[in-house]
Formats: sequence, structure tokens, C-alpha cells
Amino acid sequence: MAEVNMEQLLNCALCPNMCRCDCPVLQALGREKVAPAGKARFAAMYKQNHLELDSEVIEAIANCLGCRGCTVRCPFPELNLCDELLFARTPDKEGRQGHLASWEPYLANLKKYSSPYGQKSFAGGRADRGADILYFNGCTALANHPQSLAAVEKLFQKAGVSYQLINEDCCGYPAETWGDPELARSLAAENYRKFVESGAKILVTSCPECWLVFTERYSGWGFGLPLEIMAAPSYFLGLVNDGLLKPSAIGQRTLSYHDPCIWARSAKITQEPRQLLKSIPGVNIKEPLAAGEQTHCCGGGRMFQLSFPKTAEAIARRRLAEFPSGAAIVTACPFCREGLSQDNQTVLDLLELLAESCTK
Amino acid sequence: MRNLPQTVIQESLVEPQVIEAFARDAQAIVGADQISVNPADLLANSRDYWPVNNIWMIEGALPALPQLVAWPGSADEVSALLRLADKLKIPVTPYGEGSGALGGAIPLKGGISLDLKRMNRLLEIDEESLLATVESGLNGALYEESLNRAGYTGGHIPQSLSCSSVGGWLACRAAGQFSTRYGKIEDIAVSLQAVLPDGTIFSGRSVPRAATGPRLDHLFIGSEGIFGVITSATLRIWPLPEKRHLASYTFADLKGALECVRLIMRSGARPAVVRLYDAQETGNHFPELGDQRCVLILLIEGAEKIVAAEAEVIKELALAAGAIDSGPDHVEHWLEKRFNISVASMLFQKGAVLDTIEVSTNWHNAHNTYLAMQNALLAVEGTILASGHYSHVYPDGAGLYMTTVGFPGANKLKFYKEIWQAAMEACLAQGTAISHHHGIGLHRGLWMREEHGSGMEVLEKVKKALDPEGIMNPGKLGLGEVGLWQK
Repeated sequence: MAEVNMEQLLNCALCPNMCRCDCPVLQALGREKVAPAGKARFAAMYKQNHLELDSEVIEAIANCLGCRGCTVRCPFPELNLCDELLFARTPDKEGRQGHLASWEPYLANLKKYSSPYGQKSFAGGRADRGADILYFNGCTALANHPQSLAAVEKLFQKAGVSYQLINEDCCGYPAETWGDPELARSLAAENYRKFVESGAKILVTSCPECWLVFTERYSGWGFGLPLEIMAAPSYFLGLVNDGLLKPSAIGQRTLSYHDPCIWARSAKITQEPRQLLKSIPGVNIKEPLAAGEQTHCCGGGRMFQLSFPKTAEAIARRRLAEFPSGAAIVTACPFCREGLSQDNQTVLDLLELLAESCTK
Repeated sequence: MRNLPQTVIQESLVEPQVIEAFARDAQAIVGADQISVNPADLLANSRDYWPVNNIWMIEGALPALPQLVAWPGSADEVSALLRLADKLKIPVTPYGEGSGALGGAIPLKGGISLDLKRMNRLLEIDEESLLATVESGLNGALYEESLNRAGYTGGHIPQSLSCSSVGGWLACRAAGQFSTRYGKIEDIAVSLQAVLPDGTIFSGRSVPRAATGPRLDHLFIGSEGIFGVITSATLRIWPLPEKRHLASYTFADLKGALECVRLIMRSGARPAVVRLYDAQETGNHFPELGDQRCVLILLIEGAEKIVAAEAEVIKELALAAGAIDSGPDHVEHWLEKRFNISVASMLFQKGAVLDTIEVSTNWHNAHNTYLAMQNALLAVEGTILASGHYSHVYPDGAGLYMTTVGFPGANKLKFYKEIWQAAMEACLAQGTAISHHHGIGLHRGLWMREEHGSGMEVLEKVKKALDPEGIMNPGKLGLGEVGLWQK
């Protein structure tokens, strides 16, 4: 776990909370204790030995989606509060910090199944030996939307691209989220070994949280990946632009794209999904309020749907109200898909839609 | 929670059994999940953005703690909660977004922090009469963005836009950066709804003008929660401007520049933004201009033909005053940086004490007030900077915004009190009002009697009439006995 940057933490704690309107948790809960600077103040006071960090404070600090919405207006370009606050979830040598009891079952699942969902998410798959492309689906999509993998495989096959799948272990992001960095590292070690053994050159993933740990964490955990990491929307747009995928009309459809926060703010992938949608004849795009890098989280960041389900639902309802009427919602993240599927709301998956359109 | 940080200016606390009695009945009013005695909630609602809170936080202390936080969802719930608190004589401190700069949200006597965040709806936009009705807990940026999407602006854009609430604006008589065209919040507000401690719900009428006795709505604008709780308001709105024109001029000296600004106001031109910086702030904020001249920033907006005419009138007056036309780029720069307050956090960490002190002056002493306050601030040992700009201008005068920074060493609070004492004495000696838009809160109450003279007795009588038990935000606006902070 990275050391806390006290200067940045205090920059936030001493700020009047210029980002408070962009924090989905604060806006949904309306509680001052979960305001970004409020959390930073707790963390700073604790780090300076002015405050005990008990479960009430840990829960307040852990009420963070990791969506980095607080960076949109933040005057401190180096500050990433979502990550600076991670320390509070992890027990220290004196056992003073630590995860919440409600997270234990998920950690147990991770240890037993390499997935938080109580089942081994994927028992192997197609391996085109020597293929340059390794596709990593992620446990959330595999658990909740197993058809998503079939859609991706169809796209590879339509494009005539050889690809490999591996027996995936969880990427490590949930274990970090639930305060067990050692478990996160051990999961990363397994994935690293499999990635290296595959001999692939490019790792493509459709899960933003997997992408985030591959790009931002693995190296720091001692597993610098010898592969190029690509976000699936960017990769498949490349296949469309190269003429290897030829989307055809699937009827006149008005779609509204929800930018997953990691794709939009961390990976800066906002145009690629829209270009993919526009490549499908007959698709008309209507933007929601808060699009692109200003997107609002669906409520599914940092495993909220498991950790804080009521809050996740409240945040999703606020986000759903920002979409234009008469447009179907489409997104490119398994958590967003799950989170926005409230009240029988249909949420389409970008790659499944693309696969549906690629009949030739 | 064990070992909560020490409170420094907690005047008193309510007996725990009284808080428990309140909690029992309050549950029936708002629901059990809308009140909390969780220490994390108490800690979070213990402070606002008064710089002294930051000094204490670094030192590991708190100003004061509430004993219960309540989140009402409607004016009726506020009414029932206040009636209950009044009966039990429990202090109530309203809480919005916590961006106040003078300690107004600190619960000096414990009791209840009444947090209005659940009352955050934009209730209606009347496009015909250009009015918006909004609940007081709505965040300022979310309010403005909602209006923008409908094709309007609220005209109130303070630096704290994203971290303040509509109710906070009203309670503190706030000003936005575009106030010369749209007015301060007291000009923008048409009517409001407020709840008195006895539970009475006052609802003003949203008519443009009336001769129906005193306009009671205005009693609550600037009252900072001492009379009751503002629960909603009807505010003026404007169609998004058709045209925006940016201009800047530099002047050889501040006094000459001020005279030019006065003449611009006299001409009838009404730019939205008029900001005149002294040479030091010109150099700090616009380094490309150097620190020998004073820059005037102008943003004119509205109907295209009117904007063009105003721009022409202003240009003629500025050039006649010997100004140099410096073009629109500096205004673009200001627009880009106007919400960036990062320097404050960084300086606090380096041991500095800093604050901004805004006052309201007529034209005849606008320059003298600046000189007097600057000299007074610089005379305080430890001060390294005392600069200023006129941030809001009107036909009859201007809001002067002084910024001061010092490195006082160990005794930061002593220094803080000294700079304020120096600045306020200088301000009062000039006949200048001690606040333009930050309000009074806790700290500036020290000078309220000098500010108002016998007017303070009127304020006390009104307070006694509306809040006989004295439960509403005790210790603020200079009312009540001298407290720990003042000592």
C-alpha cells in the first residue's frame, strides 16, 4: 500500500470542499461526513494522531466510489483523494485501521474462488496458442452477464483476429478496496504468471476496474506487465477503423452513452465509445447530463453494489434521472450496467451491441 | 468514537437527557435515520471554512461540537423540530454546505446542527416572470447548472459557488462575481420562506414590488440563522446572455483607476464583472502585466447591441482616463482561474495565517479605506502581504476585498486577532461598513456594536421578539454575552 501523501491530504482537508457538488456519495446521502474534504479531515486528523479511527470513521472514509469525480474541479492537479484514502481500509501493524466486518464474506469468496461472487468465474476458454491478443473479461461481467464474453468472442472471430483467454483470477481491485492488499498482490501474482506464460503482446480488457489495476497498480505491486494494456472500446474501434469489423444497421435506435468514470477520467476514453456507436448505421446519440470527463458515477465504483448496496442504488437513481427520455442507455462497464439496471431499466452493453451489428 | 479532538470554544452543552428527549420525539418527525448522534456526524458538522478552523485542525483541535445532527426534509419538518427544540431550550445551528468564512456554523453551545442538505430541490422555474423557486439546501453549482440547462442563469456566481448553498447565500447576504449587473443576493431574492423557533412558517409573496408594510423577507436575508431557518426562496433569473464581451485596461495608479470606475458606473453602463486590482495583486494574478500598474477586468454580457454600446462607452472613459487597453486575454485568464483557491491550503501548511477581509465603501472614501486598511495590516508584526482589489462596484460605491498573509510563528491565533483588529479599526475609522458579503458569523461580531451603534439595540429587540428562548444560532452576529473566542 502506497504511503499517504500528507501534503496532498492536507491540501484537501484545508480546502472548503470545492468538489462537493461532484461527489455522488455526498449528493446521494446528504451527509457532511462523506464530503470529500470531510473524509480528508478525518484522515488527516488520524494521521496526525488527533483522532481515533474507529468503524464509524472508517465507514465514512470508505464511502468513496473511487470515481475521481472530486478531481473535476479540484484545484490540486496532483491530488487523487480516492486513492489517498485507501490506507484507512487496511489494518496497520497495530491493527488500528481496517476493513469493515461487512466486507469479510467477500474477502472470503476472493480467497476461495478468486472472485468476490461466490463462484469460480471462469473455468478456462479458447486458447489460440501464440496469439498476440489476450482478452481479460473480469469477474463481474462473467458473474452477472456471461453473455458478454460470447459477444466479444464473436467480434474477434468476425474480425479474423486470433485471441487467447485464460483461467482468470480476480484482478486484485476488489481485494484492495476491501482492505486486503496482500490478497490483492497474491491475485495479481497469479494473473501476472498467466499473462507472461501466454506470450501475448496485448492485453485487452472490457472491465475498467481491471484496466485500472493493470495500469496503475501492478507495477507498484511488483508485477510490471510485459504487455500493452488496452481498453476494449479503443481496441475494437481500431478493428472497425481498419475495416476488420463492419457494423451493419440494427434498426433506428436512439442511444445515450453513460461514460464509466474510470474510462472517462482515468483512461481518458470518451470519444472511442461514441465513435463505435456512430459506426453502427441508424444509431442516433443523445447525450445525458454530465458526459465525458464530467460524467457522474453510476454508484457501482469500488464494489459499492456489494459494500454499500443501498447507497449504490440511490446514486444510480440520481444518475438515471440525468438521461434523456426516449433514449436507450448504453455503457461499457459491467458495474455501470449492473448499477443502472434499476426498476427494470434496460442497459445495453457497448460490445454486445457492436457484436449484434456485426453480422457480416 | 474515542478521543475526539479537544474543543476550543465550546461555550456549553445541553444535558444529555434533554438531547435524548429531543431525539425520541424528533424520530417521529423526521424518521430515525434522519437524526444522528454518531460522533462522525458530530465531528463533520462542527466547523465551516473560517480560517481559524484550519489553524485548529492542523493543531488537532475543534471549535465546538453539536450533540445531535438532524436532516429535515421539508419546512413542516423544520417547523416541528424547531418547536420541539424551543420547548426543550436546545440551541439550534443551521448548517448548509459549510463554506462560511466567519465561523457562523459553529455550534458554540452544542445542541442541534440542523443540516438542510435534504432540502435540495429546484421547485419551479417561472419562465414568464423570470423567477426560480428553490429549496435552501441546494448546492449553488447544482442550482446554476440546472438553470443553465433550462437556458437561464441565476446571476449569482460567488467563488464558493460549488461549495455553498442557496440558503447560505441568503443567510449571509452573499455576493457573486457578476454582481454589478445582477446584484447581490438581496437584490436577486424576491421572497423567501423561513421558519421561526416557535414553528411559525413565514412565506413571503413573490410579487415584484409591493407597498404592504415592511418586506419581512428581508428580515431573514443576512440574519445568519439567528431568527429562524430559511427553507426556500424565490430568486430572479435571467436568460443566458446572447453576447459576452471581455475587456481589460491598465492604469498607472489605483486612485485614478477608481475614479474611472466611478465614472463608468455613473455613465449607466452595467458590466456584469468589474474588478480593479492594486499593483501588487495585478502582479500576483496577472504576472504578464508586471506589478507596477493596476488592472481593471471587465465582463459585459447581455443583448448584443447593448453589450456593444456598453463596451464602447467604457472604452472611451478608460482611454480618456489614460488607461492602456490590455485586451480580453487577462479576463479569459481570470475566468479560468477564478475558482482556484489552492494557495490557501498550501500556505496554511507552511505555517502561514491568511484571510480575506471584505468591506463596503462609498466612492468618497474607497481609496482611503484601501490605504488605511493596508497600512494597518502591514503594521502588524508578522504580516508579509496586505493587498487588495475592488471586487464589486455599484453607482454609490464598491466592495473592497483585502487579502493578508503573515507568518507569525507559534501564536497564530494572537496574530489572527491582531490583523482583524487592525483592519476593522481602520475600516470603521473611514466610515466603511465592516462586511460586504462574507457576513458576520462569530468572529466579526466583535465589531457589530461599532458598526451599528443604536441599531444593535433594534437587532437585539427583534431577536428577543422572534426567538425569546435564544435558541437560534447563539453567539453569532455579535449578540449575547462575550464568549470564549472573544476573550
